[in-house]
Amino acid sequence: MGVMRIGHVDLRVLDIDEALNHYVNILGMIETDRDDAGNVYLKGWDEWDQYSLILNPSDRAGMNSIAYKVEKDSDLDAFEKRIADWGVAVDRVAAGALHNCGRAIRFNLPSGHEMYLFAEKAFVGKSVGAVNPDPWPEDIKGAGVHWLDHALLMCELNPEKGINKVEETTRFLREVLDFYLAEQVTAGPNGEIQAATWLFRTTTPHDIALVGGPRPGLHHLAFFLDEWNDVLKAADTMGRKGVKIDVTPQRHGITRGCTIYFFDPSGNRNETFAGLGYLAQPDMPPITWTEDQLWRGIFYHVGEEAGSFTSVYT
Amino acid sequence: MDTPGATARPRFQVTIEDSGERFACAEGLPVLKAMTALGGRGIPSGCHGGGCGVCKVRVLEGDYRTAAMSREHVSAEEEAGGVALACRLYPASDLRLKVLGMMHRAVEARRYGLV
Repeated sequence: MGVMRIGHVDLRVLDIDEALNHYVNILGMIETDRDDAGNVYLKGWDEWDQYSLILNPSDRAGMNSIAYKVEKDSDLDAFEKRIADWGVAVDRVAAGALHNCGRAIRFNLPSGHEMYLFAEKAFVGKSVGAVNPDPWPEDIKGAGVHWLDHALLMCELNPEKGINKVEETTRFLREVLDFYLAEQVTAGPNGEIQAATWLFRTTTPHDIALVGGPRPGLHHLAFFLDEWNDVLKAADTMGRKGVKIDVTPQRHGITRGCTIYFFDPSGNRNETFAGLGYLAQPDMPPITWTEDQLWRGIFYHVGEEAGSFTSVYT
Repeated sequence: MDTPGATARPRFQVTIEDSGERFACAEGLPVLKAMTALGGRGIPSGCHGGGCGVCKVRVLEGDYRTAAMSREHVSAEEEAGGVALACRLYPASDLRLKVLGMMHRAVEARRYGLV
């Protein structure tokens, strides 16, 4: 019952050919479809639904919307009511409006980001099949990412004006969509400001993350890799191909992930993220990082901001 | 320094008005990439993809071309008036630039951890 996992992100790109080269040849995603509007649909080799990423040709970068997949069609009715009862406007979206998906519901998170919930999407299958499969396919390109793992959304945080969209969106995700809080950053004189959160529906530490900033936006999309050595190899590919790396391979304190941050050719930040972190469960006590230790939480080794991590996003 | 065997490409001098910083940029290389490769810091460096807008500059003098830049950060009017993102800016002559982009947090202390 309820939300299963991230379904897809609809991402604006400035040049579709450059974007495709990046997501196919550098990250190793597979093109599965195109539509008349020029959108291109991609999946990771380990994903079974038709797509987890939509590349939308545009004159600006950033995210159009994010979608999560629910387990049962009837979940959509239940969520529609709960979202409306919480005071958020929610629309019904006919089958097919989301490319090759069944009916959906659409609403804006308190942060302003557009979100869809859907229950059905066209099936393609994993590259290794479902009968006596090999552990990985032979024709992997670049980093060979397995799946779209999570997204980090920047939410407006301006305590002087009483604005904290991190806290409000976190409350919405927990109370209405039944997400669980894995980790949080607290800030302010008495630690009373919830400045960042990591929430889950799967058994990994995050399926979505929220971080406070001056304006809403997309901080990054993260793609899953098995382990540390895959992260190193992905960075080698990026070095070879001249991809703009934001933060070289290292460890997160928060979620325990091994990570690289880099930018796609339109300036949207990507992450390749390795390791399942730890077993996240509804009854796990949430982890808190205090303001004085927050950079150790984000970059565990150096404990300082790296690159242009919080000031640059689309 | 040109390495033996490297194709000789025209190189242009880029001057950043604000800091007086000067560096060489080979034809076909974006100004921001040429600057960061030489360790320069005069223009804020962000996504290098025309998407985030922090490297916004005004070209005061010189010829250039640009690749796609996010309209979120450079309007058509600004573009026509010589405004560009340095990561999408390719010199065709020596250039003189003024920095317009600002890292949001570079000049202010953070009061709430991340903002």
